[in-house]
Formats: sequence, structure tokens, C-alpha cells
Amino acid sequence: MKYSTLTPEEIQESYANMSPTLDFSLIEAGLARHEIDWLYGVNLSRALTQAAKKHSGRYTTLSTGRVQGPTLKFLATRELSIRNFVPIPYWTVSATFGLDHSVFEAAYEKNPIDTKAEANAIVKTCMGKKGTVRTVESQKILINPPPPFDLGSLQNEAYRLFKYTPMFTLKVAQRLYLDALISYPRTSCQRLPISIGYKTILQKLAKSDEHGRFARALLAKPELKPKEGKGFDPAHPAIYPTGTRPDRMLNTAERRIWNLVVRRFMAVFAESSIQQTIKATIAVHINEFTLTGRQTIEEGWMHFYKPFVHSNDFVFPRLVKGQEIDIENVAAQGEFTKPPPRYNPSSLLKKMQKEKLGTKATRAGIIQTLYDRKYITQEKIVVTEVGFEVVRVLHQYCPDVLSSKLTAKLEDAMSEIQEKNETRQILLERAIEILQTITSRLKEQEPAIGKQLSRALKESRLEELTVGTCPICKTGKLVVLHSKKTGKRFVGCTNYFKNTCANAFPLPQSGVVKPLHNVCASCGSPTVQIYQKGKHSWKLCINPVCGKKQPGGKAK
Amino acid sequence: MTCKVCSREADETGYCDLHYKAHVNIVKAYAAWKKGLNISWDEYLKEIKRNCLTGEWAKQVASHLMKNEEIENDKTS
Repeated sequence: MKYSTLTPEEIQESYANMSPTLDFSLIEAGLARHEIDWLYGVNLSRALTQAAKKHSGRYTTLSTGRVQGPTLKFLATRELSIRNFVPIPYWTVSATFGLDHSVFEAAYEKNPIDTKAEANAIVKTCMGKKGTVRTVESQKILINPPPPFDLGSLQNEAYRLFKYTPMFTLKVAQRLYLDALISYPRTSCQRLPISIGYKTILQKLAKSDEHGRFARALLAKPELKPKEGKGFDPAHPAIYPTGTRPDRMLNTAERRIWNLVVRRFMAVFAESSIQQTIKATIAVHINEFTLTGRQTIEEGWMHFYKPFVHSNDFVFPRLVKGQEIDIENVAAQGEFTKPPPRYNPSSLLKKMQKEKLGTKATRAGIIQTLYDRKYITQEKIVVTEVGFEVVRVLHQYCPDVLSSKLTAKLEDAMSEIQEKNETRQILLERAIEILQTITSRLKEQEPAIGKQLSRALKESRLEELTVGTCPICKTGKLVVLHSKKTGKRFVGCTNYFKNTCANAFPLPQSGVVKPLHNVCASCGSPTVQIYQKGKHSWKLCINPVCGKKQPGGKAK
Repeated sequence: MTCKVCSREADETGYCDLHYKAHVNIVKAYAAWKKGLNISWDEYLKEIKRNCLTGEWAKQVASHLMKNEEIENDKTS
């Protein structure tokens, strides 16, 4: 039986039109994927974990795999360029002028400028001069509706709008699918076949208070033709609403994701949005400045996709060629080039999609595993010492495991099984052959690998316990320590037990303490989060005499 | 041999592979800073050390280079 929604009508129809046989080649390809991933994951993870344990005597789960390795490598490469980044200075010149009681800023046409002297010279030549409008150009641009959601684009949009992680969005979408509110979410398709019944869905949506007027506007169109994307998945269409209204109270996240799917579905049937850009060139002495504006003429699909899209209009008064303008100020601003941005769960998911790493169903889980292993932390992803060392070890001894080419090659071979040009048995034998070479190399180098990984694990553990730098001796770090006499915990300097620094702060004796790596807004001391069973977690400034606290240590 | 800046293994340059890359970037970026602001090497190191956009490892290498140059200056004076 083939179906993409759990509505009674579709299940009944699917039962009535049952396929005569199972799709055996699809099953074989799926099994091959499971077995290869299992073989890679279990063997490589065991090799790393054992190497570290043999060296340090302490067990910590370390893992890698066919998709996990290359994904971690992308993150480590980005982290490397951020941590090694050296900014380069540059200057920008801008002119401000008043028009119709508002102030506008035009940018110098040759921005950025390499030297401070040149930027200052440009400012000097413009000072006290009048501006003349040299050209005014306007252009109409069509902005097409976005394609319907596949899982990746839904996860990216949910992160952009609500900061939901890909894993969380998938869970919510799965619940909405089980409630027959949306179609099957694990799809990489961006197409909506006519067989889903556009009109029937919109007619159902037309009955709702929230979406009714939008659905009715679309139903009034002579033809319903969706804008479609390139993504194609033979198993399921793009994600669409069934039109069924929720028969239970949806929680905030469910309501938001459902509304997002409904609005996106409606937007794909709407017209393109028409925008006008206006570019004016203003000459000041021998220099030219440009002012760019943008205005929405026809909202088109944006009307249906509100509030999830904004047009960012910037309108300036009408300018005429030859018009003279009083320049209020011309200034040079010193700036610096910026390091590349950190990946976040959404941009990492996009990168994995682009590199064809993993499947729509596994990508979110792999990102979560990297967090669980403590290879990465924070929402704007930071690679930890352990994460780096795993990449360094694999790069040194078996670089193939980090290569997205190897995993893409295996993906192609799996598609060949589906096309009946390859057998599962042959592919598995080939994968085992590659794996044997890798694992024997790892075994040979086990002591060196163990030493490298253990050092990183030790540093990561210390980092996890570190609250901040010691303000007294300035050489030690403030960490969570335990008294040798009483066993009680406290925050103390790493030099405390060496008797070279006595800096120490009391801590609550129950619950879990997690350093927040930021400082108290009132006194500048480091802060920690305290998690106690049966209570809400709370933020604590470690300074017992912090101005924010009442006598007795509690916050005011 | 350990890296001049951290506890990782160093190669013949005296840096680990991670800090070596930072050193290369520092040397390479000086030309742009000199052209833009006409500053000396010592001033440049001070500037990048206090710039919040400079990466953590590049700052560590800059500190190391500053310390080294202080020692060299002490020796010559």
C-alpha cells in the first residue's frame, strides 16, 4: 500500500489500489544502507573508544561514521578558519543628506577603500560641496513564490523563524502527520502532483477562520498551478496540509509548524511578487555616491505567506536628474573584515544536503549525535577539543573516512541497487574491504591515537568544569573543586591545591553545576546554572557579596 | 617536541599544525595592515591581539610573538 497522508480517504483508496508485489530493489537498497552504516559506525567508533580507553584507563564513548565523520570535518574546517582568523582593516565613505525632513545615507561607489589616507582624502574633497543627481534608474523585479516544503527546507524555515532545531521540527512534523494534519514529512520532494487534490484541500481550508479568506482567494483563480522546486522523491510528494482541522488543542510548536505548512502550501499557488528597485547616483565634486531603494508594487505570494516573510521596503523621495542636493556630512568609517560565520543546526543541515551527506531522515539525528558526543557545543556551533582531535586522528590515519566523496560513492552504489544494476552482496563485500584497510591502520597506530584522544578528552573535561579565569592570580582557572577534608564542593582556582592562590567561592552542595561562560551584569563575576531535582534551574553569580544578592545569598 | 603555544605535538616550525596556520595568517595579513595604517610589526601585533574579531589561536600566536620580541629586545639592550 502506498500513501502519503493518514486521512481515512487516502488509506481507503490506497487499500483499494494495493500494489501486487513489494518493491524488492528498494528494500535491498535500504538494507544495504543500514548494513553499511552499521559496519562503519560500529567498527570505527570501537577503534577510537578502545584506543582512548587503553591509554587513559577511562571509558568515554567516541564515535564516528560514514556521515558523522565528513560532517564533523566541515565543522572543524570552519572552526579552524575562525580561530586562525586575522581581520584586515578597510574603510567605507558615506554621504548623508536631508530630503523632505528625513536623512538619507548614500554609499561611495568605490567602497571598500584599502587605506585610511585615501578614505580621508575622499572626505576632504567632498566637504562643503553640493551634490548633483547624475542618474536615476528604476527596475522592476519578479520574485517567484518559494517551492513547497521538503523536510530540509521545512527544518531550515522553522529554525529561521522559531529557532527550532532540525530534530525538534522533525518530531513536531511527525506528530502532525500522525494526526492526519499534514502529509508524510520525511521527503526530499519539492513537487505537488495534481493527484493530491489541490482544490479539495483548499476547499477544506476555506472553512477555517484563520486561513479561509486566503484559500477562497486562491479558489477564485481560473487555474491552480503550484510553483515547484527541483527536489524529487519517488516515494512521497512535498509536505502539504491535508486540509483537516485539528480535533485536539495543538501546542505552540505544533500550531506554528502546521500554520507554516498551510501558508507555504497556499503561497506556492499564488502569483509572483513584483518589486521595484530605484538606484540614484549623486555626484559630489569628482566622487560618486549611490542610494538604493526598494518598494513592493504587488505583494503576490507574500500576502499568503505572512507573517513569515517581510518585504523590507526602503523608499526615498523622488529624485530628478540634475537636481542639486545639500550634503550634510561626508564621513569615513574604519571597519574590519569578519571571520566566516559559525554553522548553526540549520545551516549545517543545508551544507549536508548540498554535499549529499546522509538522508532527509538521518541528518537531524547525526547533528544531535555530534552534540551528544560533546564534539560540538552551543547553538552557533563551536567545535570542542575532542571534536578537533577526532578529526585530526582520522585525517592523519584514515582520511577516506572524512571524505564526502567516499560516502557519495557509496550513495551512488546504493542507487544502483535500486536500479537493479548492482547487488547488495557485492556492495557489502566492497565496503568491508575498504573498512578492513582502515581498521587495520587504526589498530597499528592505536597507542599514538589513544594518547592524542586522551589528551583532548582531559582538556575537554577541564573546560567543562571551568567557570572562568582567576581574577586574583590571573594564571589559574576557576573550576569546580572538592575539599580534601570535607569533600564539599566549591569554585576555586586551579592553583588552590598548589597553595599559590587561595581564591575560592562557595557553591550549593546539591544539584548539578554547569558553568555558563558569561559574567554577572552587576559585579562581573562568572555565573553558573544550578539544576536541582524537582526545582526550576537557576542562575547563580559565584560572588557571595554580589550587589544583586540580598544578605544570605539569594537574588534580590 | 611540543608546540610553542600549546601542548600539542609540534613539527619543525616549532608550532603544531593548528597554530602554524595562525602564524602564517598573521604574517600574511601584515602587508594589508601596513598599507592601510602604515604601522610597525610591533604595533600590528598589539592591534590584532586586542581586536575582538581576531581568532583565539591567532591571538595566542600574536602574544607569543610579542613576548619573544620583548626577550629579543632585552637581549640586544
